Amino acid sequence: MAGQYKKVNRGVTLTLWERLYIPEVLRGIMITAGHFFPNLISTAKAYITGKPEQRKIMTIYYPEELPTIPEAYRGRPVLVRGADGKEKCVACGLCEVACPPKCISLTGGMRDDGTRYPTTYTLNGAVCIFCGLCEEACPEEAIVMSHDYQNLCEYDRSLMVYDKEALLIPQEKLTRRLDYIRRRMYSKCNY
Amino acid sequence: MFDYTYLPEMNLIPYLAEMMVKIVFIFSMNMGVFAPLLGWVERKQSALMQDRIGANRADIFGFTVFGLLHTLTDAIKLLTKEDFIPRGADRTLHYLAPFIAVVPALVAFAVIPFGGQYELWGHKANLVIADLDVGMLYIFAVASVGTYGAVIAGWASNNNWSLLGGIRVGAQMLSYEVAMGLTLVGIFMVYGTLRMTEIGAAQENFFHWGIFLQPVGFFLFIACALAENKRTPFDIPEAESELIAGYFTEYSGLKFAMFWMAEFLEMVTISAVLVALFFGGWQIPFVSHQMLADFFGFLGPNLAQVVTMLIHVGVFWAKVCLWIFILMLIRWTLPRFRYDQVMKLGWKIILPLALINIAVTGAVILLVR
Repeated sequence: MAGQYKKVNRGVTLTLWERLYIPEVLRGIMITAGHFFPNLISTAKAYITGKPEQRKIMTIYYPEELPTIPEAYRGRPVLVRGADGKEKCVACGLCEVACPPKCISLTGGMRDDGTRYPTTYTLNGAVCIFCGLCEEACPEEAIVMSHDYQNLCEYDRSLMVYDKEALLIPQEKLTRRLDYIRRRMYSKCNY
Repeated sequence: MFDYTYLPEMNLIPYLAEMMVKIVFIFSMNMGVFAPLLGWVERKQSALMQDRIGANRADIFGFTVFGLLHTLTDAIKLLTKEDFIPRGADRTLHYLAPFIAVVPALVAFAVIPFGGQYELWGHKANLVIADLDVGMLYIFAVASVGTYGAVIAGWASNNNWSLLGGIRVGAQMLSYEVAMGLTLVGIFMVYGTLRMTEIGAAQENFFHWGIFLQPVGFFLFIACALAENKRTPFDIPEAESELIAGYFTEYSGLKFAMFWMAEFLEMVTISAVLVALFFGGWQIPFVSHQMLADFFGFLGPNLAQVVTMLIHVGVFWAKVCLWIFILMLIRWTLPRFRYDQVMKLGWKIILPLALINIAVTGAVILLVR
């Protein structure tokens, strides 16, 4: 039916230069070639020097190369083992209360010198939602979100329940995260 | 310019030996180098253009060789896969179609010169398999036979998507076959011959390359050639998002691989035609055959010719590789045309422009004489 169509105005008016098509094609090719050649050169350079970070490509060869985790990344929550080799945790139970899915359960005890410590500490990794509220609630910087993100999945959920021994990580291995927590706590944008 | 009347007085044995060497060389170049390697090039090049790394998981004892082993795994997979023929399909034609698609892509290379003429130990070697005087017309004829492969594949599969793909192939090829022939008329007028070796020899002077004498014809021809190749800006016959895989939807295993190979070999052929017609064939800019032969003159007349020949063949294939790269670049840059846009471009833009190009070329030739 002649004339019975609706003209859709897409708000695009092409100039004569654009309608010539070939200049615009060449422009598009320049863009893609501008990605191709730097990527090719930097990839070859990275291969020769053996430094993958020189690649301009964002993607990485995952199992062989690991990405640099940003310090704000929330990985598996872990307990901090202090410099004296003892848990920093004082078994106050704030994390247990703060935990939205209720995956933490602990029982407190007292050492001979009168300091408190958790006798048992269980964190169910299958239930944990990696929200980081336990870390924010903790007054002792005893539970932090580590940058540990690999091999957290199991075929059996009972294997994902971490006990105190599985959760305790020496302080030295968590310095990056602990520094970040302190900086965040005392910064102006503390939320 | 060489004398082409030497054929009857030639010795049969060296002639046959030369022929066999040339055929084996071209066949191994196409089937042994380009057909398997272009799959890898396509993957890696598209990956780098899109800021990705590309295929790299296939390995032998931990060596991935930049993902090159993926071509090997592809071959193993396609060879061992079930060869599926859908119910209700025409079995004979379903078998025949991939062969009709792949053979023209291979034999079209017969008339493309990959080197000049060289006198080696008294034997005149002409580096083209068949020095036909119809030259380019032979390529047009053979390329249109390749269309039948796709159309028959679409029809014989008993599948709606395949049939639509086959119909689209027919329409697209028909439209662009016409325009493609007319775009090259300008070249034939300028060089006064259809014979590919003569066109190649006429481009010894850098400023007599086809790209300088026929710039409009070049752009029109490359558009038509892309359309003939059925790759992305013109891939409406396969159009993944619309027709699954178009005319080869119902193909699997080695028959699918043959369509795949045909596409890549067509790309090699198109690059070779572009090089032979517009980019000086085997010629090096500003370096004539005689200059090269004189430069290597200290090796003796025969060895100097051999070195010159090797350099020319290398230059030809380097140009072909460059053009394959550019075609891949275009394929991974431009989005697909709509069906009506393809038809409009073919009939309303390229065809009139080609006709105008012929008229202008004729007028200029008349004025210059």
